[in-house]
Amino acid sequence: MERSGGALRVVDVAVGDAAVVAAPRSGADSPQRVRIVDGTLACLARHGTTKTTVDDIARQSGVSRATVYRAFPGGRDEILRAVVDTETARLFSALGVRLGTAGDLTDALVGGIVEASVRLRDHAALRFLVEHEPGLVLGHLAFADSDRLLATASRFTAPFLARWMPPSEAERVAEWAARIVLSYAVSPSDRTDLCDPVQARRLVTRFMLPGIDALQSAAVGATDITWSHGGRPAPGGRPAT
Amino acid sequence: MDDTRQRIVVAAYGCVARRGVAKTTVEDIARAAGVSRATVYRAFPGGRDDVIDATVAWATLDFFARLYEHIRNASGLEEMMEQGIAFAHRAIVEHDVLQRVMQTEPDRLLPALTVESNRVREGIAEVLAPYLADRGVAPGIELADAADFLARMVLSYISAPGRWDLDDQDQVARLVRAELLAGIVAAAPAD
Repeated sequence: MERSGGALRVVDVAVGDAAVVAAPRSGADSPQRVRIVDGTLACLARHGTTKTTVDDIARQSGVSRATVYRAFPGGRDEILRAVVDTETARLFSALGVRLGTAGDLTDALVGGIVEASVRLRDHAALRFLVEHEPGLVLGHLAFADSDRLLATASRFTAPFLARWMPPSEAERVAEWAARIVLSYAVSPSDRTDLCDPVQARRLVTRFMLPGIDALQSAAVGATDITWSHGGRPAPGGRPAT
Repeated sequence: MDDTRQRIVVAAYGCVARRGVAKTTVEDIARAAGVSRATVYRAFPGGRDDVIDATVAWATLDFFARLYEHIRNASGLEEMMEQGIAFAHRAIVEHDVLQRVMQTEPDRLLPALTVESNRVREGIAEVLAPYLADRGVAPGIELADAADFLARMVLSYISAPGRWDLDDQDQVARLVRAELLAGIVAAAPAD
């Protein structure tokens, strides 16, 4: 009970602002730390959090216990926090590359959704935890606590989408995309596989783009400007479709 | 569910409401239900965890029965979704037992709730489908795809509203009519 309570707090911290902001801080990414984080990921994928000890982590990482504690004076809890920070930062930097190089809104949405879905599906440690320690992670991926994860995802990805729409709408759309990714990641569908770019594109063009247009028209009274998907503000109204 | 199981589950719900999951024993449940420990084990061979899973299932079913009761007279798809989302949001926020157990013992509640939420999603899709068929879907949209997608979104928004204020009718209308339905329904609502 106490163990899982402690681990929950680890995830709590990590899905807040801290994850995205603090992950690249200088000194935090020494080669030893990265090596230990990756070793821990391998342990988690096999045994989860409750059965992974500092000894296991040291052995898996090919370093001594003393080295682990030099890199992470806080021990196991600090390592777990660093794992979540690192994995969150890795996910968001991969998303940043996809979103930053997209040529239009459709490509950005499809690319971002596929990238995130594939990374969540192929994340061995996350998969193990969802299956064997669901109480630890599910609250953050679905249900009330996912509000924080949605807010973090939306804050990070919205600026990329703001190339094609006003910032306030970009935040809603980014949150919407994050909801879609989480829903299909937590409960896979036999109708739609968002890891498949063709199926993701079908979902985006059928279900999302018309909704995004309609949201912007609904908001137009407030701004008097609608931004076209081409990336430039179009005065007066939305472009003809 | 037979009468004995039903009686045990209702009693277990009361115990959990009073002192949480961890402190509720088979003994407590039996006493509250007015049956023997042996009867509890006959009805639920897996013991306490079995009873708790059944209790979460029962409470979820009860929740969605109330939700269905609330929306069954809605005149169309849009109205039904708006009323359903607003009602479900309030009911979850005001659900003392759910909120307390979620705060204090999420690790005991979430696995069962996740199993339930898959069933619930299918249930929501089944309720949505005839309304969607009535309303007419846009060309190229498969009814079952649309129903599954909308059920996922409804579940997502009622459990985590994010940037939306679901107590505000105008926002709920915008969420339903603009964001969720724009690509799915055939044309502008008749009225």
